[in-house]
Amino acid sequence: MKLHLPPRVSPKTFDAMLAASAKVVGKDWVMASDADRDAYSDVYAPGSSEEWPAGAAIAPASVEEVCAIVRLANEHKTPLWPVARGKNLGYGTAAPRMAGSIVLDLGRMNRILELDSKLSYCVVEPGVGFFDLYEAIQRAKAPLWLSVPGNAWGSVLGNALDHGIGYTSYGLHARNLCGIEAVLPDGDLVRTGMGAMEGNPAWHLFPFSYGPTFDLAFTQSNLGVVTKAGVWLQPAPETSLEIVWDIPNEEDIAWVIDTIAPLKISGLIDQNVFVPSWLGKMVLKGQRKDFWDKPGAIPEWRVQELLKQYKLGYWQVALRLYGEEPVVKARAEVVKAAMKRHLDAAPAEHWWRTGDPIGQYETTMGVPSAVPLQMSDWIGGRGAHMGFSPVVPATGTHVMDQLKRSRKIIADHDVDFYASFTIGGRFANNINMLMYDRDQPEMVANMRRLFDALISETAKAGYAEYRTHLGWMDPVADTFGFNNQALRRMTEKVKNALDPNGIVAPGKQGIWPAAYAAQRAGNVGGKA
Amino acid sequence: MTRTLSRMVLVAGLAMAGGGAVLADAPPMMMPPYILRPEPPAGDRLKAGGDGKVLFEVHCGYCHLVGGMGTNLLTKQRMMMGETPDKGLLANRTDLTADYVKSVVRMGKGAMPAQTKVDVTEAELEAVSKYLGKAG
Repeated sequence: MKLHLPPRVSPKTFDAMLAASAKVVGKDWVMASDADRDAYSDVYAPGSSEEWPAGAAIAPASVEEVCAIVRLANEHKTPLWPVARGKNLGYGTAAPRMAGSIVLDLGRMNRILELDSKLSYCVVEPGVGFFDLYEAIQRAKAPLWLSVPGNAWGSVLGNALDHGIGYTSYGLHARNLCGIEAVLPDGDLVRTGMGAMEGNPAWHLFPFSYGPTFDLAFTQSNLGVVTKAGVWLQPAPETSLEIVWDIPNEEDIAWVIDTIAPLKISGLIDQNVFVPSWLGKMVLKGQRKDFWDKPGAIPEWRVQELLKQYKLGYWQVALRLYGEEPVVKARAEVVKAAMKRHLDAAPAEHWWRTGDPIGQYETTMGVPSAVPLQMSDWIGGRGAHMGFSPVVPATGTHVMDQLKRSRKIIADHDVDFYASFTIGGRFANNINMLMYDRDQPEMVANMRRLFDALISETAKAGYAEYRTHLGWMDPVADTFGFNNQALRRMTEKVKNALDPNGIVAPGKQGIWPAAYAAQRAGNVGGKA
Repeated sequence: MTRTLSRMVLVAGLAMAGGGAVLADAPPMMMPPYILRPEPPAGDRLKAGGDGKVLFEVHCGYCHLVGGMGTNLLTKQRMMMGETPDKGLLANRTDLTADYVKSVVRMGKGAMPAQTKVDVTEAELEAVSKYLGKAG
């Protein structure tokens, strides 16, 4: 990829920034060739990855080096785009929101600083991946379980900081963060919570600061560069039981939500319950052309044939309980009785007990895997996906309302419907997976129009996305319009106070520093 | 991911998938256990002369050990080309050249994204490509 410079930065200044950075991190960790820029591009970009091009990448190895690079960036007015491991697939990978930003790749900061089995937490740097932490736990024989996202190739902190979700009792990953260290945009270093006191042993245990609590202000944020954080972990349970129901019809999702959500809210179910539609299973059975070889959405009659042929429900609930065996048994009886009021078929049950082997794909038991990315093979070619991800209240009425609306918009664009609802408690994350071949321009253009339509129509109905791709960060931010965008105005005031040069991640989640305010509308939405 | 889904993933990787053939479900005991990667070698990642096998398993093992995403997709592809399923594991290939390995790692291929020099350094890639590049 050719060099795109950040706004108002001359080639001479850009080179001076890279040369000065090389003195801090070593010349091999300043990466600025065309191939390097390609490697930091969005591999799932809906269109050309040159819409969101990195100018270069710099990889520091320590918090001291991060501070030094941030100071140099202020000096040279070269914006940075921090990434933990840069594997945010479907949301932009490692690519920056603003063209020419230098990716600050924290992948080399990959130390596990603490692993505490007694109080069930760890302290990690941003470069620690789910695989790394899982393996450290196995090697230490520590009685701890992770919560992992569908694609676990990425960073534990990166995923939590971007509000990623998992499918265990600890599935709301940002909520597991406790005690953050961050480099502020002027190069200063801050520790939140009890960490504001030197040597306080409760830093990663007590979730509040004395005074305002800023931990979550560093998530989906450009207010600082997180360099370490505490992460709460699940104590390994004595047993676990998975109960699987195939749910026959599309409209059944309403009673499924109304049955499970109250049990989740009451605490009887503690897992984030993932309810995928049938296509979630089909994408792993082969390629789309094996089942429907025409362009356009798979017609409903063929969907019904496929469900029958492969003995699939329209939805599947694979609910997992964790704990001591008598407790799990008792909870299971309550859940099964509640489900039986709507569905006669007995569920499949799979017990796991301490000492039993755990399979490689047991996401709900915290085993990391990149295998769900196989779905990119469904469309074929350079397969990719984006997720349209609104949050809805966890009631059948709200879920059906959202489902019908997005289903119609997706059908109007002649695209296959692949939805899931993850019940996180009082809310459900509705993820609509939109898959495309990057080498088919009309398919990509259609996806972009579809994405625009989904955002605007969903916002009209009063719902918003929890996370989105680089190209839609501004349009989604625009949907939060209360009191003339009061929340964005407040965040930008804070941003400008902390970051007068607009150095850290300009445009992240639609928050633009004054220095780059003119970039706000650039490269957004279907028109980009 | 559910157990049922997991089984399908595995089968998609290991079972016959020739032109349009459709995959059946499989018994749960087929799910392979998690394979621990070796610990990353200590020391300077920029230094030449590392153990290619260890470095391959550390840096490529997320997807290219038994049951990994890359292995599953490659197994399907190799079988459609008339080869045995074990050729889905890159470590079992005898037709790869070091230059080809380097090119795919840096440029990406199909579902595989390009790897940055933080993912795999040039020195590490040199060792990995020598290990995998059994055809020269």
